[in-house]
Amino acid sequence: MTQKIHKTGPIILSVDTSCDETSVSVTSGLTVLSNIVWSQSNTHAKFGGVVPNEARREHERKIDWVLKRALFYAKIQGNDLDAVSVTVGPGLAIALGVGINFAKELAGNYSKPLIAVNHLEGHLLSPLARAKNFQFPISNFQFKNKREETFSYQPPTSNNQPLTFPAFGIVVSGGNTLLVLIEKIGKYKILAQTIDDALGESLDKSARLLGLGYPGGAILEIFARKGNSKKYPLPLPMLGRENEGFYSYSGIKTAFSRMVNKLLTGCEQLDKQQIYDLAASYQHTAFEHFIRVTRKTISATIPIYNIQNTTYLFVGGGVAANADFRRRIRMMCKQLDFTPLFPYTKKLYGDNAAMIGAAAYFKYLKKDFIDPKKIDRIPDLKIGNAVRV
Amino acid sequence: MQIVLEKDVVVGDVVKVLQNGGLVIYPTETLYGAGVDATNEKAVKKLNLFKKRPAGKPYSIAVTDIGMARKFAVINSSAVKMYKTFLPGPVTIISNGRHILAKGVESERGTLGVRIPDYKLIIKIINNFNKPITATSANASYKKSPYNISDIFDNLSDKQKTLIDYVIDGGELPHREPSTVVDTTYEDISILRQGNVKLVKGNKVLSVSPDNTEDIAKNILQKYETYFGNRAIIFALKGDMGVGKTIFTKGLAKTLGITQTVTSPTFNLINSYSVNSPVKKLTHIDVWRIRSVDELWDINLVKEISDKSIVSIEWADKISDVIRKYHEEAIIIWVKIRFGKKENDRIISWGVSK
Repeated sequence: MTQKIHKTGPIILSVDTSCDETSVSVTSGLTVLSNIVWSQSNTHAKFGGVVPNEARREHERKIDWVLKRALFYAKIQGNDLDAVSVTVGPGLAIALGVGINFAKELAGNYSKPLIAVNHLEGHLLSPLARAKNFQFPISNFQFKNKREETFSYQPPTSNNQPLTFPAFGIVVSGGNTLLVLIEKIGKYKILAQTIDDALGESLDKSARLLGLGYPGGAILEIFARKGNSKKYPLPLPMLGRENEGFYSYSGIKTAFSRMVNKLLTGCEQLDKQQIYDLAASYQHTAFEHFIRVTRKTISATIPIYNIQNTTYLFVGGGVAANADFRRRIRMMCKQLDFTPLFPYTKKLYGDNAAMIGAAAYFKYLKKDFIDPKKIDRIPDLKIGNAVRV
Repeated sequence: MQIVLEKDVVVGDVVKVLQNGGLVIYPTETLYGAGVDATNEKAVKKLNLFKKRPAGKPYSIAVTDIGMARKFAVINSSAVKMYKTFLPGPVTIISNGRHILAKGVESERGTLGVRIPDYKLIIKIINNFNKPITATSANASYKKSPYNISDIFDNLSDKQKTLIDYVIDGGELPHREPSTVVDTTYEDISILRQGNVKLVKGNKVLSVSPDNTEDIAKNILQKYETYFGNRAIIFALKGDMGVGKTIFTKGLAKTLGITQTVTSPTFNLINSYSVNSPVKKLTHIDVWRIRSVDELWDINLVKEISDKSIVSIEWADKISDVIRKYHEEAIIIWVKIRFGKKENDRIISWGVSK
């Protein structure tokens, strides 16, 4: 049956259970053969938040089912695999543990090497994942695996140009707000990060202040489309200090909370238009701050690292699923003469295992495997050292 | 059974039901309550059946004022202070009983919980009835807290429903926590259940800036320096979104010499920072995303306590019952931060719960 496999590289089964989602994928090189995500947001909606123990039980209950579907859709059997990879951090400790134990067992059962992946690197490299029908052009980027098979990977650029490094990358999600310098794949420097709340968290919290439930970031986006972003001006965080390498979202959250409470004095609830305008105003300010700090930091970094060639900006994480956010990133890239790289499908933005597979692919090529006896969860795992530019 | 909208209630009708040993469901400023004549043994037995309550669990009573309370309980001086400050309102005050109420109302050690509902209609009914009624939530034991009539009825068996004689339908109540229970029978006031009113024996200070808040955190922490490494210290932080709970924790981190940036743990729930001193680590927890208290937190807190960590818990009021369990093993400092008049003003009150 093996001849049926769509093989464009080593076949890796990946597992991600870093927080709310239970996900298993099968990738071949950078090609996604299957990417099954079981979201617990329905369970959590009932409680208005993540219930850690519930999260663990849900992961345990669902993971076998998710695995079966991932193998089924990829038309793969356990023996066809070249490796098993799993997220070891950062994330919710109790949830990470479920995925690691599961992956360890799978790798053991099929006697395959195990690869430990940083969840953030997964988000960062998610734009490199390719769809099954993507045609790989001939490339000068070639790798050999341990069986001396040659694999090539081609950057997802429309003009068939190979990827060049250094590049930049951003990860914007519920738990992370990062700008990194990608010296090469696997080597990162943190150029800017949040000093308090993450961008996604900030959007979720503002949505909660407007009574939009949890997680509210996605609902906020829809409401913001109908609103006037200039109606309720909010102070831009770190104004004039955008070169310090920090994002900050706690001040704007406080200002927003005060604004909402003020509007609520004397009336029972906000009217629809008020909610639309407030959503638009908040989202505008939150994104504007992100773009300002990102642009300033990138501009300061370019001369230091003598970056001259075509520069790519990798964009990953759930917040980037927001169309307005991507529009702003494109505008910024135009000004900087950068090429932005976004994941090819919405599923790759939120937490998912295929992005872990993409990151694992590069580790596989370097034979960067981990001893199953030594693998452990690292809830506060970092992606690189912070540098000040 | 009669279900009557609050505006249509005739006080005399309710009083008659109570006089006949009937069971009345009534709204209060916290939850819906189940009331029977607290001096009528038969009525209290009926209430036990309704609540499916194990024998030996006492009921609080609702009275109109401190004068009425004195007839059934010994109100000592610390209780008087509590009555003056908090009643009428969502606080139940425990005193020694005078042992003249129906069996099963007072606790086995003879104490009695008294409450004065901040709800005019109910005060009027008790006043006309001229006897205390039971003040217990209108759900069966371990069932959902009742904020509207269907919360109650959806969780009752047909047999339980037949026990109800009269329902005062006050509509959907604001979702407030159950009353705070305060025991005044010992010298020290101890808090048994933390509801909407937080008690802090301690201080209140004004912070005028985030830096100021960090300094206040430092000052409070330094008062407990002698316990560093011997006992866990838990900072249970309470306050609205954006009030500065993370800023307060940043102050704790600075005091301990942590140079890493302390960021919000909302997403990961827990962030730990190692410390190079008698204290080994600072653990920063945020339970904002959590809605139900479960054993996970027990397990982790036990570990933090045995590690003698300094623990900062944001939105601690959500798991206050869990935190309070450790009052012997750990020093628990409750910190409440509120917005002040000016934009950057914060009122920080804090105290140790025993």
